[in-house]
Amino acid sequence: MAEERKKIAIVVSESSLDKAMMPMILATTGAALDAEVHVFFTFWGMNLLKKDYKPKLKGMMKPFTGMMISKMKKHNIPTFEELRQQCKELGVKIYACSTTMDLMDIKKEDLFDKSIEVVGAAKFLQIALDADVTLFI
Amino acid sequence: MEVAKTLDTRGMLCPMPIIKTKKVIQELQPGEILEVIADDPGAKEDFPAWCEQTGNELLKLEEKENGDIYVYIKKR
Repeated sequence: MAEERKKIAIVVSESSLDKAMMPMILATTGAALDAEVHVFFTFWGMNLLKKDYKPKLKGMMKPFTGMMISKMKKHNIPTFEELRQQCKELGVKIYACSTTMDLMDIKKEDLFDKSIEVVGAAKFLQIALDADVTLFI
Repeated sequence: MEVAKTLDTRGMLCPMPIIKTKKVIQELQPGEILEVIADDPGAKEDFPAWCEQTGNELLKLEEKENGDIYVYIKKR
């Protein structure tokens, strides 16, 4: 077992249901593996940090979102909201892109959690530079 | 083998068995044994990986005929 905690940095750039679930599953699992997990939400990904945001399937698949969600429920897959909450409980660090917030007129009070840090690219890259794993989703 | 606690994750898919295990093991004392029952097919590989990464000791991993996996983990 590694003495020093491994570090995982994830960038989330989209907000469709599939691209919402994947980083949440990887982030919670990373935290369960005792890694330090940092997730940076940028561009469309920023939608996922809004209170009450419900991610949908992309493009032509959009009308089938409800079907997919009930299928996931049947398979006992946690919902997006549940995973987001798990991230918080497991100590996953969440960052909001400051430029996107400005561009899309998102306020800090619109975000689901007060502990979300609003940062720029340099701060996230500083974290990513010494991460063991970096993923772009 | 004296089991301090049993966690039944049958019906849960990856990553929930691992996340629940992480949470439940925090309630145990070092040296105590946690029994986890899982039926997610990924569990057979996920539990050894989780143990190796977190330093908890995997004492035994047993697959029953019905596919249920019994894992015994000693808290570090």
